[in-house]
Amino acid sequence: MPTKKRPRRNNRAKTKTQHEPAPGGTSGGAGERAGKIQVRMFRVGFGDCFLLTLPTAQGPRYILVDCGVHSKGNIKLEGTSLLEKAFDNIAQVTGKKLSIVIATHPHQDHISGFGSFAKQFGEFSISEVWMPWTEDPDDPQAKSLHDKRTTLVSRLQAHFAALGMSEDIGPAAAVANMAGNAPAFQALHSGFGVGAKVRYFKAGDLAKEPAGIQGLNVSILGPPTDQKFLAQMDPPANDHYLRLRGGDTGGAGMVEPFDRQQWSFAKEDPSLAWPELPEAYKKELRSRANSAVDELAFALDQCVNNCSIVALLSYQGLNLLFPGDAQYGNWESWVKSSGSASLLSGVSFYKVAHHGSVNANPKEALEKMPDAKFAAMMSTQSRPWPSIPAPGLLPALDRKTGKQWVRSDAIAISGAPSAPAGTVVPPVFQEGDFWFDYFVG
Amino acid sequence: MASPDSTSGRASLPPKSPKPRPIAPASYRPLKAYAFDPSQGKYFGNYMTLNVKYERLQPGPIGAQIAVIDYDASNDCYYEPVNLDEDAILIRDGLDPSESDPRFHQQMVYAVVKETIERFEFALGRPIRWRAARDPKDALYRGKLRIFPHCMQEANAYYDPSLHAILFGYFAAPADDELNLPGQTIFTCLSHDIVAHETTHALIDGIRPYFMEQTSIDTPAFHEAFADIIALLQHFSMTDNMRETIAGTRGLLEMGELAPYAQPGSKGAQINAEIARDNPLVALAKQFGSAMKLRAGLRSAIGTKPGSHELETKTEPHDRGSILVAAVFDAYFTSYLKKTHDLMSLASAYAGASAELHPYLVNRLADAASKTAKQFEHICIRALDYCPVTDIRFGDFLQALITADYDLVPDDPYGYRSAFIDAFRSRGIRPFASSYSEEALRWGGPQVKDGSSLQCFGMNVSLQQQMADEDFRAAQEHNAKIITNFAKQHAVELGLDPIAENCKIDVFSFHPVLRTAPDGRPLLEMVAQVLQTLTLPDEGGKPAAKVHGGAALVFNVDGTVRYAIHKSANRLAALQAAYRAQLSNHSALSPYCDVSNAQVNFRALHRGY
Repeated sequence: MPTKKRPRRNNRAKTKTQHEPAPGGTSGGAGERAGKIQVRMFRVGFGDCFLLTLPTAQGPRYILVDCGVHSKGNIKLEGTSLLEKAFDNIAQVTGKKLSIVIATHPHQDHISGFGSFAKQFGEFSISEVWMPWTEDPDDPQAKSLHDKRTTLVSRLQAHFAALGMSEDIGPAAAVANMAGNAPAFQALHSGFGVGAKVRYFKAGDLAKEPAGIQGLNVSILGPPTDQKFLAQMDPPANDHYLRLRGGDTGGAGMVEPFDRQQWSFAKEDPSLAWPELPEAYKKELRSRANSAVDELAFALDQCVNNCSIVALLSYQGLNLLFPGDAQYGNWESWVKSSGSASLLSGVSFYKVAHHGSVNANPKEALEKMPDAKFAAMMSTQSRPWPSIPAPGLLPALDRKTGKQWVRSDAIAISGAPSAPAGTVVPPVFQEGDFWFDYFVG
Repeated sequence: MASPDSTSGRASLPPKSPKPRPIAPASYRPLKAYAFDPSQGKYFGNYMTLNVKYERLQPGPIGAQIAVIDYDASNDCYYEPVNLDEDAILIRDGLDPSESDPRFHQQMVYAVVKETIERFEFALGRPIRWRAARDPKDALYRGKLRIFPHCMQEANAYYDPSLHAILFGYFAAPADDELNLPGQTIFTCLSHDIVAHETTHALIDGIRPYFMEQTSIDTPAFHEAFADIIALLQHFSMTDNMRETIAGTRGLLEMGELAPYAQPGSKGAQINAEIARDNPLVALAKQFGSAMKLRAGLRSAIGTKPGSHELETKTEPHDRGSILVAAVFDAYFTSYLKKTHDLMSLASAYAGASAELHPYLVNRLADAASKTAKQFEHICIRALDYCPVTDIRFGDFLQALITADYDLVPDDPYGYRSAFIDAFRSRGIRPFASSYSEEALRWGGPQVKDGSSLQCFGMNVSLQQQMADEDFRAAQEHNAKIITNFAKQHAVELGLDPIAENCKIDVFSFHPVLRTAPDGRPLLEMVAQVLQTLTLPDEGGKPAAKVHGGAALVFNVDGTVRYAIHKSANRLAALQAAYRAQLSNHSALSPYCDVSNAQVNFRALHRGY
């Protein structure tokens, strides 16, 4: 495997977990890991796929948090998509037994695998499937949010397609991330056809010993249901910019405000002294003319992120926080509450929200986490969005975790963007073929 | 005049010149426009003629201050420009209102923009200037605001400072539109309201360019609210609109009986007087807002019961701005009722409650409503010169209003100032002053230790209007030097931070102004803006952040500093860090872009982000 040269602090880190961990999470024969919670972060490209192994008296239990990759941030190893490799690894490690599958929110880069591998998941034994309440088909409010979103997404896609815009970058990429998730949802809502119990969660819920895992408690901190925060999940109401290019009237193509034959005016006409605008200026005007829809796409994208399940798993006295892609609106709903400080000060592991974007890891939350007493994992990649992860967040993570954090793109994959040169992988993270393992506690 | 060879001794009449004697140029150019927008048909005086100052125009129209350019960026084409100097157009006061002729759109946009500019020039007592050109190479239409009446297919219109332009959108009417046919094209440039609103953004930006910096939740809200206050007051100042409204309802008269403007035991005018269920002026204001469903939010608070804690919870710029709009209109309605109280009392004494309003009475009421609106508009615009240079807060605006009006009308015969103070207090707008008394709200002069005054000698306070262009430029260069030296010398007395390597000052705006007080006094003075730029040490490789403070100075004609309205850059630096963090947390776009140097973005703001 091509590996980037990175400074190592400690020889021990060179011990790669080449071998799959034996059931029980006691791989590599390292005694110190016995009985510890294991978090495996796969490098899938731009997307989240985390496998948790909980040691129990009855043997290991497995929880899968998300399994997806953005179609424009998808990367391959030896000709095979890394998400597929991750899936194979999951099947192998777990012996096709998952206690809980959590789909944090309806974005491709978190759930595409549930669709692509729906058939294979159908050969698993799965006890529970968890989704945010905003996906509950029996909740009228959720349904309304969902319908609105679906309509907007399909119209935005049509719009970008009509413009011939590439889905590789920018707003069209954000929309692509929201589209094509039907197969994944079909699988999730049906409990993968294997009788898994499908549960929908909202802020304030507490799952006690879910899937029969004794001693496990999961507090759900998001998504909220308060009216005040609903707006953060509700697609923008004033979508009148989408009336353009057909939109509500069902027509296709552009509105031409005046008959061109009659009114459009040629520069060459000598009777009218009207200087031609410089081309650069006209170009700026045209880009503004297109920007309304771009901004709508991003606003909608944020709404979906704010639907993320934020789950705090408590087991063996340790607390693992998985906030999905929650952005500020979701965090805001609970981080200001009086209980948040005690929750956050007890965090032992943190899954960095939204691939390390600028407003998904609010200072007020990060600051409440205990100094140098927790580790963090960030699944990230600078494609399709070069501004992710946000540079300002990285020093804050260094400081808060005592440099005990790792980014998925520190695993070099040829042909894929990777972490900046000089990125250090702390020895507490065991590097595998295309994943990092962390043993909590 | 005798001919040179008048040897005959007889004075002969000179031969009649073959050229006709020149006719003095017209003062005004009448142009037709919609008073509201096309959906209002011919009701409520919707067809009106605006008299704008006459100027020679090129096709476009392109005049000295604005260039209407009908380039459609969505369709990448130009539409035929109107030539307003064409005889056939001149003779009929401009083209008749028409939705389907782009040339009428160009005419209407030109007329409304020009009308708005003229109101500002009258109130400010000087010619207006647009934001300085960003790029010297961008010489085309330099010094002119570019207006694109059909720029993009979007239900939006906004002022774009980087393009020096106002961009108007057009869009197909939605299926649920009650006034228009589904699919019919709606033009934002045909809404008087929207054109006045956007022009006001551009005008504020020319007068106070640093208000574009988002330094607090008040700054974008102020820009929005002020633009809307002006757009609304322009409607109210049209007597025809008022007459139709007042004649069509009896609400005003009844309200006078139900809610007298002054209640026993209360001090001064009662602010809640106008909060009647059916105040037609309130209804009218909301109707303007809903016409195109674009600015309704800003008007949502007009006529609502004031709540003194609303500002604490409202952070969205339109919500927050609506409180400022409502406060100004509270004051306006109160003043109007106070002025017409005698008429209403007489009318109800002589006629039964069921009688129609007598047309004479309607005229008097309409005159009072529109005259009061004009005065309020002037007070608000004049206050801009008395606002701080950066970081405008609603409370600052109240202080600016009170100070500006006091300067011009010291005796306040109609009680406008107390109406403003009561209205702002009721809406919970808090200035940084020791109390709500007029004296406490008025800005102070420079802080000189011995209490003496500070004088800047040698300024050339001559009016631009009376000078040749090159003389005026020379005078301005001279003034720039003098005021800059003065500000550097007296930085601390003027309320600025001490000058340091990382804390420099610069005078970027100075204008002689001539205002005429209602009692006929000419008021000649100099207004100047001093900018203080604090450069913060950079953190971890980021470019150094700059924070702007400064002082707005008002000089007497002899150079004495009457007011030094200042903001400390060092104090702002601390406040802004927290605000910007909040801004980046809340922006829908921020995960994908950088908001560290946030500027007010009207494009996004008008879309509701």
